[in-house]
Amino acid sequence: MAEARKRRPRVCDYYQNEDQFARGVALCAGCALELNLRFVSRVLGKDVILVGTPSCSAPVLHGQNTKAWHRHPYYACVMTGVASSATGLTRYYEKAGIEATVVCHTGDGCAMDVGFQTLSGAAERNEKMIYITYDNEGYMNTGIQQSSGTPYGAATTTTPLGQASRGKSTAAKNMPMIVAMHDVPYVATATLSHLEDYAKKLVKAKAAAKEGFAYIHVFCPCVPGWRIPSDASIQVCRVAVRTNYFPLWEKEQGVWRITYKVRDPQPLSELTRLVGKLRHLDEDEVARLQAQVDYRYRVLEALCAAFG
Amino acid sequence: MAVSLDRQRKVITGNAAAAYAAMLCRPDVVAAYPITPQSEVVEQLAKFHADGWLDCEYVTVEGENSAQNVVCAATMAGGRAFTATSSYGLVYMYDAMFNTAGYRAPVVMVNVNREPPGIHAVCAGQQDMISVRDTGWVQLVVENCQEILDTVIMAFRLAEDFEIQLPVMVNYDGYYLSFLAESVDIPGIAEVDRYLEVLKSQPRRPRLLPGQAVGCGSHGIGTGYVELRKKHMAAMERVKSKLEEIEEEFAAMFGRKYGGQIEEYRTDDAEILLVTSGSAVGTARTVIDAKRAEGINVGLVKLRLFRPFPRERLSEVLRGRKAIGVLDRSICFGWDCGPLYMEIRALTPEVGIVPMLSFIDGLANMDITKEHIGQMIDAIVSAAQKKSYRQVTWLP
Ligand SMILES: Cc1ncc(C[n+]2csc(CCOP(=O)(O)OP(=O)(O)O)c2C)c(N)n1
Ligand code: SF4
Repeated sequence: MAEARKRRPRVCDYYQNEDQFARGVALCAGCALELNLRFVSRVLGKDVILVGTPSCSAPVLHGQNTKAWHRHPYYACVMTGVASSATGLTRYYEKAGIEATVVCHTGDGCAMDVGFQTLSGAAERNEKMIYITYDNEGYMNTGIQQSSGTPYGAATTTTPLGQASRGKSTAAKNMPMIVAMHDVPYVATATLSHLEDYAKKLVKAKAAAKEGFAYIHVFCPCVPGWRIPSDASIQVCRVAVRTNYFPLWEKEQGVWRITYKVRDPQPLSELTRLVGKLRHLDEDEVARLQAQVDYRYRVLEALCAAFG
Repeated sequence: MAVSLDRQRKVITGNAAAAYAAMLCRPDVVAAYPITPQSEVVEQLAKFHADGWLDCEYVTVEGENSAQNVVCAATMAGGRAFTATSSYGLVYMYDAMFNTAGYRAPVVMVNVNREPPGIHAVCAGQQDMISVRDTGWVQLVVENCQEILDTVIMAFRLAEDFEIQLPVMVNYDGYYLSFLAESVDIPGIAEVDRYLEVLKSQPRRPRLLPGQAVGCGSHGIGTGYVELRKKHMAAMERVKSKLEEIEEEFAAMFGRKYGGQIEEYRTDDAEILLVTSGSAVGTARTVIDAKRAEGINVGLVKLRLFRPFPRERLSEVLRGRKAIGVLDRSICFGWDCGPLYMEIRALTPEVGIVPMLSFIDGLANMDITKEHIGQMIDAIVSAAQKKSYRQVTWLP
């Protein structure tokens, strides 16, 4: 009887190999990016080639005068050249008949700002690669400055609170939606509180990258940057999903789908209360952020309804 | 254009010569972005590719910065890669050029010399190549369409040589050479294969492949960084003799040579010398002949290798002359003279103290005429006679 019952796959069923990263890497305690790196590596497998940039992940990926803190093949490049460097690699492998999965792994600052052009170019050319953006909503490595991933109202070192400032005055770019509009084979959002969902998406992305461009946008809280306790990052991920601040969805071969439907979304104040960089927002400001979140969610729903 | 991969003689532009040469070297990856006066190179390669003559991955990048990163990474993975650019395109890939050189990625690039600044400065000038001289690339400058073709082929041989492993940039003047149509002897692809074959017998450089715990691109900090910089510098110095060596191999196969680092023209008994580079050399040769006929003992030095700077060969040829003039197609801020002039002046301890004159001419497509070069030679003659002279002269 027990055998006939279909067991739901667990996260560990998706693991291809042991953790390829060393212990005690140079990231803050409680950093969601660390979990992201280890998870991506275990699900995609140890053969994948990582391409990374100056960022919080750099010391771990490059090593500094030491060996790198992992066993993946790795290519380091400037922030302006991630998707293009990955293109150089994949195009050569294609020409030489070498089977490879190349994974760009960058922060939002690279993907959404200084590396945006080349990412968009690679997406338009449908280059065969996976691009993973870990979105910690700012330039963390350089000291928590705003990026175009920083949400409305957030306090950062370049959008500080002051007599004349209430934090960032504009909304974050809707990056996964922008990439989806390139009509590439696969685009998804994911986060670290919903690992089964994320694992499935990584598997799909790996398959899609055989045909073209696959993109995953990962919500990835940062302990000092967001002023959250070091044991709160996963909770913040969960609340971001439950408030629809960060809905989990995918667009697969033109078909849009919300992969984790939130039945009774919590009010956004649940999130702003948790996150130090947003805690100063008054009722009106939270309402304004809520309106942005609701609007984006309606756009997403409409797309899923029309092309689901 | 009807294409053949057999040896042929054709009247083609400088840009077409560059494209033919790149095709004959069988690059695995080509990535380039169009810019006047280089666009024809990009289009020509696209056409070769579309017609099935060029079997490569042709990447229609969205900008030069990406072009440079694509070719750098492709060579790090183990491929042969080519790109071409000019002016703003070159400076738009500036950050990536540091990496290409720092990673010792053997990329070959053609740069069709054009002025920045000013979006209307769509005209010849060498300021672009001068502005990237400290990125760690080998830089060659050529004079005519045949030399463009031959030098691009030699550039692959040089860049990928195991003792060198450096990116090589081949520069030629926009307009004067990019659009000049000349009769060019185009080698057959089998001959080019044979010329480059020696590279296959050399040890293979490490490459980035899936499944291997190999990283690339980190220079580290402190001593690790210094070690790589020293090795890069040493490789750069090795370029000088290597270039002459591979040019001998080239001459043995194709019957043409260009003097390696520098070419001397009527220098043997010359009392005064003019030094220049690029398309101006052709005009200068004619004027030298005319002045010789008038009884003036003048010679010409053509600079082919700009980085590394051919210090030793230049010192040797410049030593013992009565006066030296240097013609630049670009300017050097802070020194108030031409940049080649500034570098040649730095050879004073080797050459000795003689009048050295800087001529700045040919900026922004202004013709460097025979008359101008005649005036320059007259000024050098006068300085050699110990008359007072202007150190820096802008023409016209
Ligand atoms: C072209 C360029 N500009 C600026 C920098 C400085 N820089 C290093 S890391 C960084 C922030 C990166 O932000 P992100 O990509 O979001 O990664 P994170 O630091 O958040 O991990 C910046 C701006 C750089 N390395 N290169
Ligand atoms: S600053 Fe933020 S993103 Fe960077 S290592 Fe620390 S927690 Fe992670």
